[in-house]
Amino acid sequence: MRHPADPDDPEHPAAPGVRPYLRNTGTGARYQPAPPSAPPPGPPPGEQTTSLRPFVLTSGRVDGLDPNIGLETQVSSHPGALSARLSPEQRAIVHLCGEPLSVAEISARLRMHLGVTRILVGDLRAAGHLDVHVLENDFPDPETIMRVIRGLRSIS
Amino acid sequence: MDFDPYPDRRVVGTARVPNGPQRTAPPVPVKIIVAGGFGVGKTTTVGAISEISPLTTEAEMTMEGVGVDDPGQASGKTTTTIAMDFGCVTIDQTLKLYLFGTPGQTRFAFMWDDLVRGALGALVVVDTTRIDDCYPAVDYFERAGLPFVVGVNTFNGQLGYNLDEVRWALAVRDDVPIVQFDARFRGSVRDALLVVLDQALDKAMKMRS
Repeated sequence: MRHPADPDDPEHPAAPGVRPYLRNTGTGARYQPAPPSAPPPGPPPGEQTTSLRPFVLTSGRVDGLDPNIGLETQVSSHPGALSARLSPEQRAIVHLCGEPLSVAEISARLRMHLGVTRILVGDLRAAGHLDVHVLENDFPDPETIMRVIRGLRSIS
Repeated sequence: MDFDPYPDRRVVGTARVPNGPQRTAPPVPVKIIVAGGFGVGKTTTVGAISEISPLTTEAEMTMEGVGVDDPGQASGKTTTTIAMDFGCVTIDQTLKLYLFGTPGQTRFAFMWDDLVRGALGALVVVDTTRIDDCYPAVDYFERAGLPFVVGVNTFNGQLGYNLDEVRWALAVRDDVPIVQFDARFRGSVRDALLVVLDQALDKAMKMRS
């Protein structure tokens, strides 16, 4: 009788022709080599993502961003945009923007990459489903800054 | 201004936004950047004053990071995801302040151009034990002409060096304010941001005249 718990014990050598780890030790997971007719393996290493790759959502585009669509740019959806035929991601954006929302917030709430969000927002604007409220001047005017200062001072 | 290129779409009454026919005019967004190295208290700073708990958005880091954030030879990876925290403060219904916390290292500079566009200014958060983390951010903001303030985060009220020593170490111009603040306290963060806004106001006045 061999000792199943200690296959390497020289006193009880393993059965010839059977590698120790292949011997049935009764309990526990047992290594089983994949049979030749095994189903095709999963995606290769590095591709094991459960979600779509970002470039799939943007139809392969990685640039061509409108520089006017910044992180803080406010976006609001058009009434009626929800009845349009849209991809799930675009639909989610339209859904979210019933109230004006910043691009960064859309990205965070939908857990979508910032770059992808900006491209999709640009697409939706071009299709007339979104209003993107672009500011005219690059740097805020003194009056606006004064309002921010007063607003912050009132925070306790 | 509410330009509507598809006025007839409004007729589709069933798909109205929940708040009825009166669509909310979007607030004017302004932003301040909170920059600094890992672990200096950027997220704490944003969280201390934001009315929402800081949200995180992700951006791809592209070739800029290759060689710095080496994922190893076995990996075919050419991009790395970085996270950026942000929060906001509603000043009033027509004005909203956004705060973006961004890593301060050179390899994240690809996103600074986007961040800086239209920004009021920046608060560079410094931990005096790792002061060199913020050099790239300081360099960048100086070159971009963005008003910025160096905020020395006093962990537990301790300041390892006095502000003159920090100024010497950073070699910033004399007109760049260096303040000490505690990122955990709203009032302290507010005061630091007010210094940034003072700088922004100076710039706006100069631009006007």
